[in-house]
Order: sequence, then structure tokens, then C-alpha cells
Amino acid sequence: MSRVIRAALFQTAWTGDKESMIQVHEQAARDAAAQGAQVLCFQELFYGPYFCQVQDKAFYEYAERIPDGPTVRRFQSLARELGIVLVLPMYEEEQPGVLYNTAAVIDADGSYLGKYRKTHIPQVRGFWEKFYFRPGNSGWPVFDTAVGRIGVYICYDRHFPEGWRALGLAGAEIVFNPSATSRGLSRYLWQLEQPAAAAANEYFVGAINRVGVEDLGDNDFYGTTYFVDPEAQFVGEVASDKEAELVVRDLDLAKLREVRDRWQFYRDRAPGAYGPLTAP
Amino acid sequence: MTTIPESRSTASTVSFTSSASFASSEPALSVRQVLTLERVLAGEPEVVAGAGQLDRPVRWVHVAEAADVGVMLTGGEMVLTTGVLLAGDEAKQAEYIQSLHRAEAAAVVLGLGRAFPAPPEAMRRAAERCGLPMIVLHRPFPFAELTEEVQSRLVRRKFAAVSLSETVRTALTALITAGAPLHRLLDEIAQHSGCPVVVTNLAHRVLATAGERPAVDDVLRDWERVARQAGAGAEDGWIHAELGGRGERWGGLLLCGYRGDTATGRLLADRAAEALVLHRMLGGAAPTWEEQSAQSLLTDLVSGVVPARQLLPRARAAGLPVNRRTFVPLVVPGADPAPLGRVLRLLGLPGLVAELAGDATAVLLSLPRDQHAAQLTAHFAARLRTETGAPATVVAAADPRTAWDDVPAGLREARHVADAVADSATALDLPAVVRLKDVHLRGLVRLLRDDPHVQSFAERELDGLLCDADPELLGVLRTYLATGRNKSRTAQLHHVSRPALYRRLEAIQGRLGVDLDDFEQAASVHIALLAHDAQQR
Repeated sequence: MSRVIRAALFQTAWTGDKESMIQVHEQAARDAAAQGAQVLCFQELFYGPYFCQVQDKAFYEYAERIPDGPTVRRFQSLARELGIVLVLPMYEEEQPGVLYNTAAVIDADGSYLGKYRKTHIPQVRGFWEKFYFRPGNSGWPVFDTAVGRIGVYICYDRHFPEGWRALGLAGAEIVFNPSATSRGLSRYLWQLEQPAAAAANEYFVGAINRVGVEDLGDNDFYGTTYFVDPEAQFVGEVASDKEAELVVRDLDLAKLREVRDRWQFYRDRAPGAYGPLTAP
Repeated sequence: MTTIPESRSTASTVSFTSSASFASSEPALSVRQVLTLERVLAGEPEVVAGAGQLDRPVRWVHVAEAADVGVMLTGGEMVLTTGVLLAGDEAKQAEYIQSLHRAEAAAVVLGLGRAFPAPPEAMRRAAERCGLPMIVLHRPFPFAELTEEVQSRLVRRKFAAVSLSETVRTALTALITAGAPLHRLLDEIAQHSGCPVVVTNLAHRVLATAGERPAVDDVLRDWERVARQAGAGAEDGWIHAELGGRGERWGGLLLCGYRGDTATGRLLADRAAEALVLHRMLGGAAPTWEEQSAQSLLTDLVSGVVPARQLLPRARAAGLPVNRRTFVPLVVPGADPAPLGRVLRLLGLPGLVAELAGDATAVLLSLPRDQHAAQLTAHFAARLRTETGAPATVVAAADPRTAWDDVPAGLREARHVADAVADSATALDLPAVVRLKDVHLRGLVRLLRDDPHVQSFAERELDGLLCDADPELLGVLRTYLATGRNKSRTAQLHHVSRPALYRRLEAIQGRLGVDLDDFEQAASVHIALLAHDAQQR
């Protein structure tokens, strides 16, 4: 029995201001819905530039309340209008001075389902994220949406297999990995790590990366957004490495069962032997 | 059973790296090949153990009578001995074989004679146990002859490899410096390899192929499976080299079913990969390989030279989804492929884009069956106008096709529509999407323009003006009919006075022998003129 859902990812370049950036994403949601997409995930910190190329507290202004901020509200009504599940990676302010790199998940009827806060925060040249974000404290939530069980794992998180596994154990069928990563730094890993995670945990992964060079630095974001299935095969083409692109793909969620019946990784894992992994 | 060391294994896919040592792909003779040499045959060789290992490569031939020969070997040697130091001591014989095995010798050849008149059973058993080919020579002959023969062949092979490498490199470099397109390079590679050559991007999408058509089609027919298996090294003769540079991988080259020895195939693939990387880096603003691949496919589809069915594997391999899809053939007159491709990506619509001859670009959308083709076409056309900032852009659309075989007819239909509106897009204030039904009489005449009856009709109706060398009268007639027989507008457009226009109209009517005030006669002349104009382009 197949269970096909149509899922979408959107990669784009910084337009220069927050409002036009939001409008570009609203249009993308409409374009996706016009093709029957039932779920759409945006890139990391979607309505802003990737300001972590510099350390400037002026960018704290980009943070909003989740779910009570204006952007979440705006996309809740869009989700309701279009009947589409939305994953919104954005800058969150819990209270002044307490900021997170977060993704909000909105169901197809516009209701707010919850958020995931990025757990692993990098601090390297061009990615000065510790300046802006506290490490996430949300654990590994999986959201029961209109299209299936969705998890989110943000950017740098992807280098850590533990979170991928935790999401799998919590029942995720698709994990979205919104990112901002640049040529030279990680390009050769980009098409290795998420497919490996998809195979190891036997679920679908949607990986999104922004495109272009922004004013704040030399980071050349290389896009190449894609979906990968539980057998680590790309679903259709990988997106452009330079231009904005909406990726719409049909995912057969029945494949999870098919692959898991064949490769019994969940049965054969040995948690009893993993104690040292959680030793501080 | 043990196998030979990995460095000399015949794994068919080894990732290409520029630093890959030559030693690992050094051409060698196999034990089996050595045994079939004429001089060796004269010694009446008999394989008495390890018959399953005869395809091992022989790197060198070594004559050794020492009992501790193992320590002198570095692996891959065929050891020749008379066993003179081993006779009479079975433990020593077994140990001798084991030391050869430990040293990873390729085979042992024992000349029967004074030391051993018959194959020694202890040695044979030891060799069989560790899978070391053991050969006995029933007729004594000088080992020097054998070493000379094998050694010179090995050297010749090594030289041949270097020479082939040089030949291929020189040929490819010459092509690159001459600015040859990708397919010329691939043709050259296919000529050397004698098997289909396929270039893919990272998503295994086929960008270009070369080789004999039927063989290439066989490869593409089942491309998904083939691509995955080739990656896993599952089939013999499939040699893969990665394409990339400056720390980035962007594709791969595959020799599909190379029939020569693996080492030579590896060498060809490596030279080819180097050349392709160079070609791409020097490519600059030239159309990308993806664009070239889409262009040759769409051009072949439109031309109808190759039946659509035969192009299906290429379309699938080029990344166009083809199973249970609705195909929407579109042609956009006067547009570049680049912005069209950009809008397709922005909307997430799967399709191919390619420039056709005559300043038009074709787009073949492939939509899931449940999507609304007309709505998405309109969406695409509207976004094309806003994204390119050209509000007069018109998308000529054919009716959606659900059968792949109907796609060429659809593309031709879209091209006809584009053709019919090409001149009049701005004048007629056309909608963003036009179809055959929107181009009315003009479209019909365009479709029929090659029909001999229509041609002779146009000739007949316009004969009086065409045989005359006054092109101005034809122009006046065209404007007069196009403006709905509006005399003042026609005079204005031709910058002549009303009386002057009347004189010209009279001349026209006189030459054609018609009365343009009569609706049917005017209509007839108008149709003839549209047909005439359509034939001129």
C-alpha cells in the first residue's frame, strides 16, 4: 500500500530586507500549493540574511516570539488558506536576552504544533552562532501533522548522529534539515551526511540550503536542496547550486515500512551498550 | 581460501583520484595468459593446483632455487624452480609453498626433471590448500627463455599503457584547445574504449553519452538500476571515474561494459575524466552540459527523425519524470533558455528547457497526472512576465499530452502557435498563454503553409503582384487588409496622401483582377497573403 505525500522545500537568496524576504516565501508557499504540495519547509533563519557571518548585536532585532510573533501569525493564516503544513526556521526570542535558532511547525489548518530549538551551536569563522543563540532545550520533538510525523534538525545539528536517531525513535517519518552552509566548508559532506542519516534511521530527509553570497561576508551558499529516501537515494533531482528553487517531490511514506522490514536497524540496535555515549 | 592482495584486485569501480598510484592499475599478464605463450606451451605445462586462481596478474617472473624464497618476493611474482633444494623433504616442500603464499606470489612453476620426475604430492596439496596456482612443466626447457619472453611482454604492456595514455591525452587536449564541444570529446573517448561512455551529474542524471547508438540505448533503458549498480561495482567492465575539481565533486564518467583489461579501462577513464574536468573549467559562459543535453533531446523530439519511443530512455536518464505524467509542450518565442529555466526552478515545475532554431525556446513540462496542466501553464506564463520584466512575453502552448509518443506532435503544435504569433504578439495584445485556437485563421494558414494546394492557391491569387517587381504594392495591400480595409489608417502608415493610396489600390485591384470592396474577394486575397507570408519564413 503506497502512501504518497507531496512535499516541498524552498531555497532562495537574501533579498536585502525582511519584508520582501517574507513575501518571496509567501509566494513560494502559493507556488507549492498550486502544485498540490501538502508540506513545505523553508531554509534556516528564513526571513533574514545569514547574519552569523559577523558578530553584531544589531541582528538580535531579527528575533521574534514563537508562536506569538507577527511572522508565525502571518504564516498560520497562509497555512490555513492554502491547506499546507509549514515548517518555519527562524530566530526566536523567548525573552530579552534569551534567543534560540528555532523552527516552528504549523499544521495544514493553521494551528501551531510546536517548535524545535537547534541543539548544537557552532562557533567557527563565518558561522559565529554562539554569539546569537543559546543551545536548544526542546529535546527531540516529533510533530503529528496532517501529512505525517515530522521532525526538524537544524543545520549544524546534522553532523551529530544522536539527534537523527532520537527523532527516528520518536517516530519521525520525514526530518527536515534547514541549513545555511557554504562552499568550501562542507560541500562534499552535504550529499553524504543526510543520505547516511536517512539510511541509518530509515526515514525521509529534506535538506535545504540557501543560495548566493550576501553582503555580510564571503560565504557562498550553495543551495543543492534535496529530498532523500530511506534507502539514501535522492528523490528526483538535487536543486541548483546558485539559484532560487522550489523543490516539489512525491514521497511514498510506505517506503519506511518496506525498508525497515528489510533492514532491521531499530530491532538490532543495542542501547544497553551505548551508556558511554551519554556519560558527561 | 585466500585472495590476492586488494591492490591488485580487479574491482571494476575504483574512485578516480589524481594521486591514485599507477602501480595499482599497472597492466599485467595473468597466470593463464602466461601459460598460453608459445614458448611456455613447448614445456607442456600442467596446472596441478589452484586452477581457480589462474586470472591472478603476474607482475614479474622470478627464478629462485632458494628454500626461503618467500623473503625475496614482494608479491605478484611467478616463481620458477626445479625444486632441487626441496627434494626428499616433504615438510620443507609444504613450507616452501606456504612461504610463497605468505609473500603473495602469483604462482609457482616447477620444472620436472632430476629433482622431481613427477609432481610432488606434498607440494601439490599445500598449494591447493592455500589456493596458489602450481604448474608443472613436463618437458625441461631453459627458464631464461621464459623469463625473457614474459619480462619483455610485461615491459611492452607497460610501455603500451604509457603510450595509450599519452595518445589519449594528446588527442583530448587538442580537442579542448580547439574549443570542441563535449560530445566531440566523448566520441574520442568512446572510440578508444569501444564501449558506451556516459557522463552524469551527482544525481546520476545523464548529461551526455557517446558510443554506438544501440549499445548506448541498452545502457540507458534501465539507467536507474545500472547507475546504482555501477556505483556499487557490481558488474564487470563498468569503470567509473569521478569528475570534480577545486575540492568539489560534480559528476561522474562511466565506461559501460569495457571489454579490455581493467587496468587499461581505468587508465582511459582517468584520462577522460581529467579532460572533462579541464573542458568544464575552461567552458566559461558556454551552455552547461545540462543545457546541451536538454537541447539535443528536445531538438531530436521536435525533428521527428528519431521515433519518440526511442528517445524515452534518454529523457528518463536526463532526469525528466516520464511515468504516469502529463506532458505540456510549450514554446516561447524570442526568449532565452536561462530565465525560463530560472522560473521553472522557482516554481518547482519539472521540465526540460532548450533553445530551438529560429529564436524560440522550447519547454517540456512533465506534471503528475493529478495536477491541473492549464492552471500551472498559466501560472508559469504569468510568473515569466513578472520575473523577466517583459510584459509582452507570450507562451505558446500545445494541448497536454498523456502519451509520450504524442509529445513530438505537441512540440510541433506549440512551435506553430509560437510561429503564428511571433510577429504579432505586441500588436494583438495577446494573453500570456496562447493556443492553437487563439491564433485563428493565421494559425490555420501557418499549419497548412507547406501544403501544395495552399501554396498554389496563394500563387494564383497573388500572381499579378508577385510577378511584378514592385514590393511596395504588396506592402500596401498587407496593411490595407490588416487594418480591416481602413484607407485613412493605411495612408497614414505608408506616409502617402489619400489620393496616392487610391491610385495604388486601383493598381493592385487591376493587377490582381479583384474588387477589394467585395468581402469574399478581399478575404480570399487576405488568406492568400497570409499563406504567402507564412511560406516566406
